[in-house]
Amino acid sequence: MRAGLIASLIGHSTILVWGLIAFPDAESFSVPQVESLPVDLVPVEEFTQLRLGERTAEVREVAALQPAEVETEEPPQPADKPGESEVQQPSPPTPSPTTAPAPEPEVAAEPEPAPAPEPEPEPAPAAEPEPAPEPEPAPEPEPQQQAAPAPQPIVTSVAPRSKPTPPRRSAEAPRDDFSANQIAALLNKVEPAQQTGNASQQPASLGSRQGAQNIRMSQSELDALRGQVAQCWNPPVGAVGAEELKVRVRFNLSRSGEVSSSPEVLNSNGNPAFRAAASSAVRAIMRCQPYSLPIAKYEAWQEVIVNFDPREMLGG
Amino acid sequence: METLVQSTLAAPEGDISFFSLFWQAHIVVKIVMIGLLGASVWCWAIIVDKFFLIGRTRRQMNRFETVFWSGQSLEELYGTLHNRVNHSMSALFVAAMREWKRSHEGSRPAIGSLQQRIDRVMDVTIQREAERLESRLLILATVGSSAPFIGLFGTVWGIMTAFQAIAASESTNLAVVAPGIAEALFATALGLLAAIPAVIAYNKFSSDVGKAVSRMEGFADEFSAILSRQIDERG
Repeated sequence: MRAGLIASLIGHSTILVWGLIAFPDAESFSVPQVESLPVDLVPVEEFTQLRLGERTAEVREVAALQPAEVETEEPPQPADKPGESEVQQPSPPTPSPTTAPAPEPEVAAEPEPAPAPEPEPEPAPAAEPEPAPEPEPAPEPEPQQQAAPAPQPIVTSVAPRSKPTPPRRSAEAPRDDFSANQIAALLNKVEPAQQTGNASQQPASLGSRQGAQNIRMSQSELDALRGQVAQCWNPPVGAVGAEELKVRVRFNLSRSGEVSSSPEVLNSNGNPAFRAAASSAVRAIMRCQPYSLPIAKYEAWQEVIVNFDPREMLGG
Repeated sequence: METLVQSTLAAPEGDISFFSLFWQAHIVVKIVMIGLLGASVWCWAIIVDKFFLIGRTRRQMNRFETVFWSGQSLEELYGTLHNRVNHSMSALFVAAMREWKRSHEGSRPAIGSLQQRIDRVMDVTIQREAERLESRLLILATVGSSAPFIGLFGTVWGIMTAFQAIAASESTNLAVVAPGIAEALFATALGLLAAIPAVIAYNKFSSDVGKAVSRMEGFADEFSAILSRQIDERG
């Protein structure tokens, strides 16, 4: 029996020592750190003031604003190109239908002035059909032989031109109003897609832990999210010391803007009503989904932290 | 506007080696772990012991059977064997022969119920040998059936204290939950570590002992028949 005991002790101790050497530590999982997007719930006046401040702050950042300047030049160019192609193409049909298709060239002529920013659009088409027949009397005989079929292809050729109406509208809009607001609206639509491209091409900048840092939520986008959450939130009005019940909630969003993980309350408070306040905050987050945020900046709003501050909402 | 604090996951501190898992555990879990480790050591001691004992017994029986059926005279065999410490079949033979000798000693040989006495003596010897082979096998059975429960008790206790700690810290962070659960599960791992070899060894050894005992019973019946023939021929 003693031999068995000794053998057993030796065996166990060797296995223990081997276990200590072979499995010293469990390797920790490598968790990619996700940057949180902080959102505060504050009254409107406050963030409108903030927005002014934020504007000036962003000007300093060259990377954020320069692509926008480039875009101001770019959008007109694509608008020009379709316009130019339309100018050249409709001009041959205009001579062949002599009288009856007179309204048609007008419709086709409308985009013509768009690239050429002439203040008076109406005189321009009137002038253009007149010079058009002059340079092209030579090609006239050929279309005349095909006089009967010619008008039909014209209609079909006009139809595809009517399809790219969106560029026409965008071209018409500045021509009609020349308001800076509408140009700004146009630029804002294009901005997010362009910015992601720039962000990925840019080398990593100093001071950011991840490449994703380059993507920033704009103040208006933050405001939109903030407003959406604030709508659904019923602050704990009746609780004792309700003004002190700040709740900080972190949650993850999926690409479709839905909450993908259950919201996590980050802080705690001795107030007995804190639990109710925290659950009201979580409910607000769950009720408001899906959140409409620019999908191009998904990395920025993948994880969101919202500060629910009843003091702001109660007007205290 | 309130300052925004970036929350970071608290990195799990401390290593997760066997040793640290043991040291961080609650005292009850620690006792359970030590007990299970002791049970494992004791089980393996029994396993090693029984392995050699049963192997030795089998070899002794084989050797004795070859000698016994070699045609050697029983008196001579008894002469060589009766002074030694005998086990298994040779012990049976020596016990039966001693009873036979004693019955023929003296002025009035007691042959009337000699057959019964020899059977009785051999039965007793078989029981003694079986007891010797089976001793401590019950410990294996007990450890094999109870060690998982003891480990489970340690785990339940560890998880209980872990949850109490979580409730006290008011944080549901996985980094707070994980170490307590890991060390609690370590107790179940030790329980299984002790129980699995014990169950396997118990099943193997009990069947081995059963085989050895039935082999001895077969020899006892055969030897009893031989002696009974001798008694009837002499009587």
